[in-house]
Amino acid sequence: MKIICPVCKTKTTWEENPWRPFCSEKCKMIDLGKWILEEYRIESKSNDDEEDEIPKP
Amino acid sequence: MDQNINGKETYSAEDIKVLKGLDAVKKRPAMYIGSTGLEGLHHLVYEVVDNSVDESLAGYCKNIEVIIHLDGSCTVIDDGRGIPTDIHPEEGRSAAEVVLTELHSGGKFESKAYRISGGLHGVGISVVNALAEWLDVEIKQNGKVFQQHYERGVPSAPLTVVGRTKGTGTKITFKPDPEIFEILEFSWDILSQRLRELAFLNRGLKISLSDERTGRSQVFHYSGGIVSFVEHLNKNKSPIHPKPIYFSGEKEDIIAEVALQYNDGYSETIYTFANNINTKEGGTHLIGFKSALTRTVNSYASSSGLLKDSKESLTGDDIREGLTAVINVKLMNPQFEGQTKMKLGNSEVKGIIESIVNEGLGTYFEENPSVARKIIEKALQAARAREAARKAKELTRRKGALEDTGLPGKLADCSEKDPALSELFIVEGDSAGGSAKQGRDRRIQAILPLRGKILNVEKARFDKMLSSEEIKILITALGTGIGTEDFDISKIRYHKIILMTDADVDGAHIRTLLLTFFYRQMPAVIEKGYLYIAQPPLFKVKKGKTEKYIQNEAEMLNMLFELASEDIELNLKGQSVKGKALIPYLKKLYKFEHLLEWFERRRKDPELLLFMLSLQINKDLLRDENRFKEFLSKVKMLHPSITTGEVQFDEEHQTYGVEIRRNHYKMNLTASFVTSPEFRELEVLYNIIKDLGQKPYKIYTKEEIKEAKTGKELIDMVLAIAKKGLNIQRYKGLGEMNPQQLWETTMDPEKRTLLQVTIQDSVEADGIFTVLMGDQVEPRKEFITTHALEARNIDI
Repeated sequence: MKIICPVCKTKTTWEENPWRPFCSEKCKMIDLGKWILEEYRIESKSNDDEEDEIPKP
Repeated sequence: MDQNINGKETYSAEDIKVLKGLDAVKKRPAMYIGSTGLEGLHHLVYEVVDNSVDESLAGYCKNIEVIIHLDGSCTVIDDGRGIPTDIHPEEGRSAAEVVLTELHSGGKFESKAYRISGGLHGVGISVVNALAEWLDVEIKQNGKVFQQHYERGVPSAPLTVVGRTKGTGTKITFKPDPEIFEILEFSWDILSQRLRELAFLNRGLKISLSDERTGRSQVFHYSGGIVSFVEHLNKNKSPIHPKPIYFSGEKEDIIAEVALQYNDGYSETIYTFANNINTKEGGTHLIGFKSALTRTVNSYASSSGLLKDSKESLTGDDIREGLTAVINVKLMNPQFEGQTKMKLGNSEVKGIIESIVNEGLGTYFEENPSVARKIIEKALQAARAREAARKAKELTRRKGALEDTGLPGKLADCSEKDPALSELFIVEGDSAGGSAKQGRDRRIQAILPLRGKILNVEKARFDKMLSSEEIKILITALGTGIGTEDFDISKIRYHKIILMTDADVDGAHIRTLLLTFFYRQMPAVIEKGYLYIAQPPLFKVKKGKTEKYIQNEAEMLNMLFELASEDIELNLKGQSVKGKALIPYLKKLYKFEHLLEWFERRRKDPELLLFMLSLQINKDLLRDENRFKEFLSKVKMLHPSITTGEVQFDEEHQTYGVEIRRNHYKMNLTASFVTSPEFRELEVLYNIIKDLGQKPYKIYTKEEIKEAKTGKELIDMVLAIAKKGLNIQRYKGLGEMNPQQLWETTMDPEKRTLLQVTIQDSVEADGIFTVLMGDQVEPRKEFITTHALEARNIDI
């Protein structure tokens, strides 16, 4: 399966990739760091629920 | 750079200093050309070409032609001054013969004729001759054409005049000796790469390469020099500033030029050259460049206030992220060191490059503050990423810290120790967590409540995230560790990890965050099939004293139609029908109306669609001009405000098409429209609901007969009848259920439904996550509109 590294957006593959879905250890660690540093935030508006409704993944 | 600073006009026999001993070359070829493999074979060509490039550096050569022949030989032609042909005073032979037969006899050894030259470490063309099965040289000089033939380095006869000419230059054809080389096939890719490089490094020099084996040929000619080189290297990348930065300088007989450009990637690409030699191992010029780049960027960043505080500084690695640069230096007596002699050793070069870069880049930044700012922002971003990676490493290293503290207090663990039998519910919110803790089967079910963290960013804007504490708790509870080396799926403590979140926006956000985290940092959990999503009911329906939970909207609709069918009669194929037979029709009608609304949102006129369906518009009709025009005239009568465009004929499909408008509706009636899956679906449904007869529809109940003018009205009436006497509660959150209800509806392994998360689901979640993260504004808008349209909100 062809995938795009979530950090640097280069193309990579799922199979035989120890860092999947990333392209490299570096990108994987950058991502983990962002979770730890609370940099991943989803924006939501307080009174705007209906408009922002998203389907269940 | 000025390349005409070199040399004197005449290059005569006196310039050639003789050092003998070609036999040594034949004995140990690898010492002179690196190897007798692919690399060595190509070195032969480079050696000859480098002589021509030296002529160009001295300002006498503009064109070099390289030809690979069918028999494995190679020709190099230049329009330089030509190798000296006069008789050498010490040797009594032509200077050309000396150059071709004596080791280290190049003109460059005296550094008078050529102040600067490349050449592969000065081994000279004699090495090529020694390692060639045969070699032909032709020199045009002083109006005459000279020729000489060699076999394995030995001349067959002295240099002889064969004709007259007005031009100058040297042509050498040689065939590598099969007794010496293991590989005899020249590679187009290797040669073209090196020749392109030389053309970049010597601005204006035209180098052509042709391959008679394949008929392929290419010309390398770059008026931009190393600026073109950088553009070439960044060809498939996205530069963050439009033009490469270029500066050059000359100090103490060292000439240096630098071109650089940043792209939005992460890798660093620096090519360094000394006298046209690709110094792949770097050396003093690279060290000088790096230190000056770091210093110049930092000093500009701090003086222009782009750094948060005076203590903050950017490291060289941060500054070189996304950098593409070419450094080209020319100097006398280059010293090459290292394993492959591809590292520049001249210590004086470092300081000189430093000062040229400081000056050149400093000036550029002053004159182009917006580019400087972009570069510094890019470096700051890199610094932040580095900090993130450091934190992550810290967390993975502190394995002990995660393990020793034992299980987190928030986790209500189960008593079962076998992971295959254990389940972990990750529950959103404390109150739902409380219900889940009370309602669970504590033998096998563990509960971990997660709330997420909310950050008030602006007035009405809140950002939702997983707190770092929660992430640590989650990792600890799972027991797998985190990172590449420290993650171990076999240590996982539960084989079912079930995400249980509210059916509202916040719940969806938390779920997306968790799914993304698992997908990115613990994909093995998903691959093993350990990750699930709980399916709490969306509705509770009460009728009298009986209660029923309804999972989703489709199930709700089903139930309502079932209830209604017991109370009403409808016309079906001309007969009045009651009961279960009605259900499929009601469902199809519902679907049909829904699809019609879908079309209407896309500005397709529902009345026109109904009309088209009644006339059975299909591709065949669009093929027939007369029938199509007849149809159009009927359409115009349908509504006075309908306008039609010009009839178009589609050659490819042999069909007619037209644009039909009414008010804000606009339909491009073409073959591809009537064959679209949506329209076909509409057709199929239409043909089924036809059985319900003509409008208005009549509904018979015990009390009365009602009339519905449209399908939508009929659906609304039927639903209203079904809902009589029902109390329908829509669950907004898990917290609205008591522990017993939560157990019965969602957690009980005997009754619940779970959705197993697949990699494909999580790829999608990651996509949703990326969009919701909001760094790309446009796609986010688009995502929300398209999905909002598809969110089926039925009024129940």
